[in-house]
Amino acid sequence: MMKKLIFTFILTLGVLGAQAQVDRTKMPEPGPAPKIKLEKAEQFKLGNGLTVLVVENHKLPRVSIQLDIDNPPILEGDKAGVASLTGSMLGKGSKSISMDDFNEEIDFMGASLQIYSQGAFASGLSKYFPRIMELMADAALNPNFTQEEFEKEKEKLITGLKTSEKSGAAIAGRVRQALAYGKNHPSGEFVTEESVNSVTLPDVEQFYKDYFVPANAYLVVVGDTDKKEVEKLVKEYFTPWIKATPPSVQFSDPADAQYTQINFVDVPNAVQSEIWVENLVDLKKNDPDYLSASLANFILGGGGFSGRLMKNLRQDKGYTYSTFSSLGNNKWGPATFAANAGVRNAVTDSAVVAMLYEMNRMVEEPVSDKDLEIAKAVFAGNFVMQLEKPATVANYAVDILKQDLPEDFYETFLEKVDAITKEDVQRVSKKYLKPENARIVVAGKGSEVLENLEKVTFNERQVPIKYYNKYATPTDKPEVSATLPEGVNVQSVVDAYFKAIGGSEAVDKITSLKLIYEGSAMGATIRSEELRTADRYAQTTFMNDAPMMGIIAKGDELFMKQGGNKVPLPEGMKNDMKKSMGIFAEQSFASIPDVKLVGIESVDDKKAYRIDVPGETVQASFFYDVETGLKIKEATVVNMNGQTQNQESFIKDYQEVDGIMFPSIKIGSMGPQQIETKLLEAVINYEVQESDFN
Amino acid sequence: MRKWKIILATFLIAGVSSAQEVDYEEYDLDNGLHVILHQDNTAPVVITSIMYHVGGKDRTEGLTGFAHLFEHLLFDGSENIATGTWDEIVSSHGGQLNANTSQDRTYYYELFPSNNLELGLWMESERLLHPIISQEALDREIEVVKEERRLRYDNRPYGQLLPVLGETLFSNHPYKDPNIGYMPDLESATLQDVVAYNEKYYVPNNAVLIVAGDLDISKTKKLVADYFGPIPKGAEITRNNPKEAPITQEIRKKAYDPNIQIPAAMVAYRTPGFTERDARILDMISTYLSDGRSSKLYKKLVDDQKQALQIGAFNIGQEDYGMYLIFGLPVGETPLQTLVTEIEEEVEALRMGLISEKDYQKLQNKFENDFVNSNSTIAGIAGSLATNYMLYGDTSLINREIEIFRSITREEIRDVAIKYLKPTQRAVIEYLPGDKMDN
Repeated sequence: MMKKLIFTFILTLGVLGAQAQVDRTKMPEPGPAPKIKLEKAEQFKLGNGLTVLVVENHKLPRVSIQLDIDNPPILEGDKAGVASLTGSMLGKGSKSISMDDFNEEIDFMGASLQIYSQGAFASGLSKYFPRIMELMADAALNPNFTQEEFEKEKEKLITGLKTSEKSGAAIAGRVRQALAYGKNHPSGEFVTEESVNSVTLPDVEQFYKDYFVPANAYLVVVGDTDKKEVEKLVKEYFTPWIKATPPSVQFSDPADAQYTQINFVDVPNAVQSEIWVENLVDLKKNDPDYLSASLANFILGGGGFSGRLMKNLRQDKGYTYSTFSSLGNNKWGPATFAANAGVRNAVTDSAVVAMLYEMNRMVEEPVSDKDLEIAKAVFAGNFVMQLEKPATVANYAVDILKQDLPEDFYETFLEKVDAITKEDVQRVSKKYLKPENARIVVAGKGSEVLENLEKVTFNERQVPIKYYNKYATPTDKPEVSATLPEGVNVQSVVDAYFKAIGGSEAVDKITSLKLIYEGSAMGATIRSEELRTADRYAQTTFMNDAPMMGIIAKGDELFMKQGGNKVPLPEGMKNDMKKSMGIFAEQSFASIPDVKLVGIESVDDKKAYRIDVPGETVQASFFYDVETGLKIKEATVVNMNGQTQNQESFIKDYQEVDGIMFPSIKIGSMGPQQIETKLLEAVINYEVQESDFN
Repeated sequence: MRKWKIILATFLIAGVSSAQEVDYEEYDLDNGLHVILHQDNTAPVVITSIMYHVGGKDRTEGLTGFAHLFEHLLFDGSENIATGTWDEIVSSHGGQLNANTSQDRTYYYELFPSNNLELGLWMESERLLHPIISQEALDREIEVVKEERRLRYDNRPYGQLLPVLGETLFSNHPYKDPNIGYMPDLESATLQDVVAYNEKYYVPNNAVLIVAGDLDISKTKKLVADYFGPIPKGAEITRNNPKEAPITQEIRKKAYDPNIQIPAAMVAYRTPGFTERDARILDMISTYLSDGRSSKLYKKLVDDQKQALQIGAFNIGQEDYGMYLIFGLPVGETPLQTLVTEIEEEVEALRMGLISEKDYQKLQNKFENDFVNSNSTIAGIAGSLATNYMLYGDTSLINREIEIFRSITREEIRDVAIKYLKPTQRAVIEYLPGDKMDN
C-alpha cells in the first residue's frame, strides 16, 4: 500500500517537472466513439384516447408533466385571437378552486403550471408531484371562464399587440407568414386589435369545447416517479375527460410566388432591415427525404456559426450578427423553407443578394465532402448530447407516434445520417429550395434602403419590388427621402472627416500645405499645384510645364492669372471663395451660417453625406463617405453673367503623407471630358514665399 | 511544486436528496490557473470551459464595450489553429461552442461528445497561450458587434432599458456605460489596444478552467497539466474602479425608445455587489414581489387591479454594485405614476413590517425548487462552478447556496428593504415612446 502511494507520488512529480507531454501543433484525435444507450418510454392509453408516456429518471428529485393536443391546424378567421384568449384564461383555477387559491398553492409548492389552448406543462419537486398532477387536470378539464377575466385578458392581449407594433422583427415575421400562406390560412392569419375585439366569452367557451379534446392528446411524464404511480394518478384525474374529436376545417392551399420578388414593408424607425427569403415546401417528417433535407438546410444556414449564410454574411462581410435558415415540416400541409437575417440598413441590398446566392449555390453545386462531413458530425454530436436530458427519450417516443415514424427511427438515426451522400443533398436542395420562386420579405427603413434594393438582380434579371403595409396588405411605394440618422450634422460629418484623415489634432497643426497633382489630357501633361495657408490660397494649372492659368486669393484680393496678366474676379465670387479658405475648406464650415447638411446621396455606389456651401456666384457641395468619413467628391456650380458652369471632381484612394491622408487620385470633369490626376507631392508645413501669392 | 488543494465536496444537505450533490475537485497550476473537475458519467457529454475575470467594467474611458469585442476576436485562431477554422473544428467533432461577456467576466466553452475531451482542452489552451488576432478580424468583428448592438439594443423594443438603468444609477463606476459599448468607441478600437488587453487580462492567473461530464479524473488531470502547464503566468491584476457616492435624493428621469408604443415605469435602486448576503436577501425580495401569480405585485397590479400588463422585480447582480429594478408596463391609459405609487406601497410594506410566515415558507420552497433545477445539466454545473469560484470566491456554494437562503430571516428581509429600498434612494424613470435624441 505504502509502496503504491510512493509510486503514485513519483509519477505525479514526473508530470509536474516535465514539459508538456503533448504535441500541441497537432489537433488531438478523438477517442473511441461513446456508446449510445437509448432508453424506452413506457406507454399506456386511456379509453377517451389520451396516450400516456412515462420516462423514469431519478437523478434529481423532480417531475415534469407535459400535455400536448395534436389537433389539425385551426383557422380562427375574423376571430383571430380566440385561441390565445382561451389559453390565457386557462390555468387560473377551476370550478372548485378560486384563482387566488390556485395560484397561491402552485407558488407555495415552488412549482410551475401553465395551460395553453392546445396543451399544458407543469413541473415541480417530486414530493409534490401527485398534487401538481391533480391541479393540472382540474384546471384543464374544469375551467372557470368568467366575464371579468375575459375582459382583462382581452385588454392585455391588445396592449401586448401594441408592444410589438413598431418592432421590425415582429412586423417581418407576421408579414412573411401572411404572404407565404395567405391571410386566410391557419399559418398565415394573424391577430389584430379588430379581430380580438370581435371575440366574445361564448366564442372562448365554444373554442375550448371544440378543441380541448383528448382524441389526439399525449401526456408525457418524466422524472423521479414510476409507471405505477403515474398510471394511478392519470386514471384518477384524466378519465373524466370526455371523449371527443375536433371539428375538421377546410382552407385553401397556398401557392408559391410565380417569380423571385421583394415584398417590402416600410418601417421608418428601423436601424436594421429584417430580411426573410422564403418558399413553400411539402415535407413530412416521415418522408424518406427528411434527414437529407434537414442536413442540406443545416449546411446552408443551420445552427451555430458554421452555416454558409453565417460564413458569408457574418464572418466574411460583417453584415449581420446572426443569420439562419430553417426548413419546416408539417404532416397536415405545406411548411416553409426560410432564410433570415437582420442587417444594417446600408447593406440590405447586398445581404439579399448574398442570401439568394447561397440558396442558389445549394441547388446548382454539390456540397463539398468537408461540408457534408461537418454537417454529419454536428447531427451526430447533437443527437448524442441531447441524451443528457431525460425529456429527450420522451420526446422521441411522442414524435414517433405523432409523425407516424418507423419504430426504430431514432435507434437507427446515426446510421441514417451517416448514409447521406452529396448527391442526396443536392437532390433535396433542388426539390425544397426554390430561389426562382422565392419571396424576399424585407421590413426596413425605406428612405435608406429602397434605392439600392431596386437594383437587386437575380439570374441577371431585376428583382421586382412589391410594397405591403405592416399587415401584409399591398400598398403603393412609400414616399421616401434620404433622411439623416439621428445626431448627424455638419459638425459630426466634418469631425468624422478629420478623424478619418488623421485626427483634428494633427490637422490643426498644419500651417501650410502644398499639393501637386499630375495627369494627362488632350495629349498634354496637366499639372495642378495648390498652396494653402489659413488665409491665403494659390492654385496654378500647368500644361506641359508651362503655367496656363492660376487663381490667387489673399486678404481682400481675388484674382485670376493668365500668362502675366492679373484679372480681378467679381466681388460676389470673392465673398464665396472666402467660405472655403483655410488649409482644409472644412475648417471654415463652423463659422459660415448657411452651410447645410443636405442629406445622403449616392456617389459611385457609395452612400455619402452631402454638405452644401451656398453662395452668390459659386455654390459648392462636398460629399463624405457615410462608412469611412472620407471626402469622396466635390462639386461646384458657378453662375456668372447669366451662364452656369458645373464642375465635379471625384477623389479617392487616400494615401498617408506625414500622418495625414490625402486622396492619391482626383478625377475632374470638364464638360464631357474627364481628367484623372495623381498625387505627385504633398508637402505639409511648406515654407511659403510672398512670391507664391503674387 | 504545485499546491494540491483537493476539496471533496461532500456536504449533505438536510431535506434535499443526495442526488443533488455535485462532487468536484479543485486545484491550482503553478502558473496560477485554477482548475475544477467534475465527473458525471451518466451521459456521454463533456464540457471544457474557461472563465476570465475580465468584463465590460475593465476598460479605460473611451473604450467601452472592449471586453465583449475582445471575446469576439478570440474565435479567430491561434498559432496552431488556422485562422477562421475555430468553429469548423468544433462542428466537425460534433461539438457546440459559445462565449458570453458580462460587466464582470468573460466565459468561453465547448461542449463535446465525451471522446473529444482532449480537443476541448487543446483549443482552450491555444486560445489562452497564443491566439492570433489580426487587423482584418478586428475590422470585421467591429462591424459584427455594431450589428449585435443594433439587434439587441437599438432596434429592439425596450432595448435601451439596461443602458438607461446603468447611466442613471452610476456616474463614476464603469457600470454607467453599456456592456456592449458605444458605437464611436467600438469604431476606435485599435489592434494595439487589443494586444495590450490580451497581455493584461488573458493570463492563467486570471482564469478558471472547468472540465465536467463524462471523464476520468486522473487522465484529465494529466491532460490539463500537459496543455495548460506551460502557459506563462501573467502580471498581477489590480482593479481600482471608482466608488459611487450614495444616492440620497430621488432621481427623476425620462428616457425615450423609438421602437415602442407602450411606455414603461421603472423604479430602480443601487444595491450591494452580489457576493454580499444582502444581495441574496434582495433576490428573495424580488421573488416575493413578482415571481409567480400569487406574488405581491403581480397579484395586485396584473390580476386584481388590472393596471399592469407586466410587472417584474429584478435584482441585477454585479460584482461591485447591483442594480435593483422594478419594471411595469401599464394597461390602457393607466398613468405611469400610478404604477410607481402602487409599487412603493408594496416596498413600503416590506420596510414597515414582517412578511407572513406563509409567504416566508413559500419563498423557501421556491428557492429549493430553483436549487434542484440549477444543476440539471453539465453545462449548467460548469457555469455555476466557474461563477462560484471566480466571482463569489467559494466553489462549494454550488452545494451550499441553498443554506444561505435557508438562513435568511424575515427580520433580515425587512432590514434590507429599509437599508436599500427607501424612496430617497430610488430613481424613477419614465421610459417613453419617442426618438432617442432626448436620452
